[in-house]
Amino acid sequence: MRYRLDLTLRHAEGALARVLGTAERRGFRPLAVEGETRPDGDRWHLQMTVEGDRAADNLHEQLAKLYDCLDVQVQPCS
Amino acid sequence: MNGARWLAQALVAEGVDTLFGYPGGTIMPFYDALHGTPALKHVLVRHEQGAAFAANGYARASGRVGVCVATSGPGASNLVTGIADAMLDSVPMVVLTGQVPTTLMGTDAFQELDVFAMTLPMVKHSFIARRVDDLPMMVAEAFRLARSGRPGPVLIDLPKDVQMADASHLPAHAPLPVDAVEAPKDASLHEALALISQAQRPVVYGGGGIALGDALQDFRTFVDATQIPTVLTLRGLGALPTKHPLNLGMLGMHGSRAANLAVQEADLLIVVGARFDDRATGKLAEFAPHARVVHMDLDAAEIGKLRAADAGVRGDLRITLAKLTLPCAAHLHGRNGAARKAWRAQCQQRAQQHAARYDAPGHTVYAPALLKRLSELAPEAIVACDVGQHQMWVAQHWRMDHPRKHLTSGALGAMGFGIPAAMGALMQNPSGQVICVSGDGSILMNIQELATLRRYDLPVKIVLLDNQALGMVRQWQELFFDKRYSEIDLSDNPDFVALAQAFGIEALHVERAEDVDAALQALLEATGPALLHVAIDTAANVWPLVPPNRSNSEMMDDIEASPAVAIPSPPAHAPSPQEA
Repeated sequence: MRYRLDLTLRHAEGALARVLGTAERRGFRPLAVEGETRPDGDRWHLQMTVEGDRAADNLHEQLAKLYDCLDVQVQPCS
Repeated sequence: MNGARWLAQALVAEGVDTLFGYPGGTIMPFYDALHGTPALKHVLVRHEQGAAFAANGYARASGRVGVCVATSGPGASNLVTGIADAMLDSVPMVVLTGQVPTTLMGTDAFQELDVFAMTLPMVKHSFIARRVDDLPMMVAEAFRLARSGRPGPVLIDLPKDVQMADASHLPAHAPLPVDAVEAPKDASLHEALALISQAQRPVVYGGGGIALGDALQDFRTFVDATQIPTVLTLRGLGALPTKHPLNLGMLGMHGSRAANLAVQEADLLIVVGARFDDRATGKLAEFAPHARVVHMDLDAAEIGKLRAADAGVRGDLRITLAKLTLPCAAHLHGRNGAARKAWRAQCQQRAQQHAARYDAPGHTVYAPALLKRLSELAPEAIVACDVGQHQMWVAQHWRMDHPRKHLTSGALGAMGFGIPAAMGALMQNPSGQVICVSGDGSILMNIQELATLRRYDLPVKIVLLDNQALGMVRQWQELFFDKRYSEIDLSDNPDFVALAQAFGIEALHVERAEDVDAALQALLEATGPALLHVAIDTAANVWPLVPPNRSNSEMMDDIEASPAVAIPSPPAHAPSPQEA
């Protein structure tokens, strides 16, 4: 099952590594990652496609717990 | 005022009175700052892992943030196991590591190690202070995060030049308040209440979250008011006193028969601050097969993670339990009252029927009896365990009345935890009594901390259960690897009495059951740190045991004592104790 993640992160040291690491450790393989910092400069806006058999709700909760993760949306995708 | 001195004063402002550490090159400015900060008592350990476990034990026993300090490189990497343990068991810690100067970071400098990256999976959060101006936010956030919600460790990496930079322009440190805990939603409480009111065979399954959420009294009130039989996880032990009539004991791999069978037969599990850990559930697909689930937890990520909840109640456990107590108690004598009463009687009868026996024949010391007796002789003591068979015997046989008096490396299962954790527990209450129960495998993993006990004259009482083997691994090799014993023989152990005495620790030895009482009395009456070396049977096993990948209803028991008990055949692939 594939999911699209839309994340808003603090533009902080380690934020990307934490998100990628959390997704992988919790059973979701990253397939694509795209992101940018907006002109305000203190936020990452990141889109990820991941694949995994576990419950996406739990991935959402695990990512939402990260200090650097200000918002996360998880949606199924093809 | 440099960054290090500002940091030392900030720690005082955060309420830190004790920190555990070991100095080295890149953390020297901070150690220099300790000279001017008498409010901080620094405990010099003999290995950084000891510092991390001591801070961990301090935090577990007190509920306050434990702080440890080390230099960069090997100092930082030696902390890692203690940090991981804090993460997995939700222990509030702040970890301070020295780092090479910012100009050398990324150049493979002497003692440079990317501890920030190394610890990403095992911290609640971490920071690298790249500028002295980062310190106020990072220190305040570190303590707020460590304390808030589900606690955990936070690391701050401190480059040496940042510690030495001028900080005279920084404001005095202002601690941040702990985050308010969300109250449960009314709708989720109504769902939970509906399920509880329908249940005829309910069981409360309590875990470590009860103490973490300061919900001990509310939990006890709930159980007493509802009269629902209760099982506890390893980290939940003490949430109900051992002798409480509704306490069926620990569930899981080495759980009691009464606890495991109650869960397997229940029609409702009321899960309070527990997380369906594999050591508790056995084969998850066959765990509590007839039960619906009400899951109460502060951490939304735990609800539904491993077992779907029919009613998930996320939020403050104190409020959750307080709001459910009266409505649930009203059903005590309701339409299911008779069924509930019969169920309760069945559970209690089974608990009596399968109660542990302590009348082992012969003159060999029977470890479960010794531990039970010691807990009766020292009812106020905190017990800190190492990891292995003795850890499970403590869980099964120690008379407990508070979770913060039982310090055990639950999720990580880290040998070497016991002595430093006991040290930390004693530091948070120097007039208290702390007992460390260890094994001959575990104790040598942090034996150097006997020097710390001696240096600070910390009267930790150590009970060393010596079976001359890595007992838990030996037990698994006996049962699941056709007795092909591999690398578990420790018959060439050092003379532990002489070893303790070499550290200046009073040491005693006992090997006959009839001498145990006198030995325990002597241990407890020792004025300073003391060690009791106890020779036990090499072949002793921990019973009951749920074999790996089996249902909790398939408990094995002592095959010699209970030959009639059917022993399931081992699984096709026999995993190790660590893998299972």
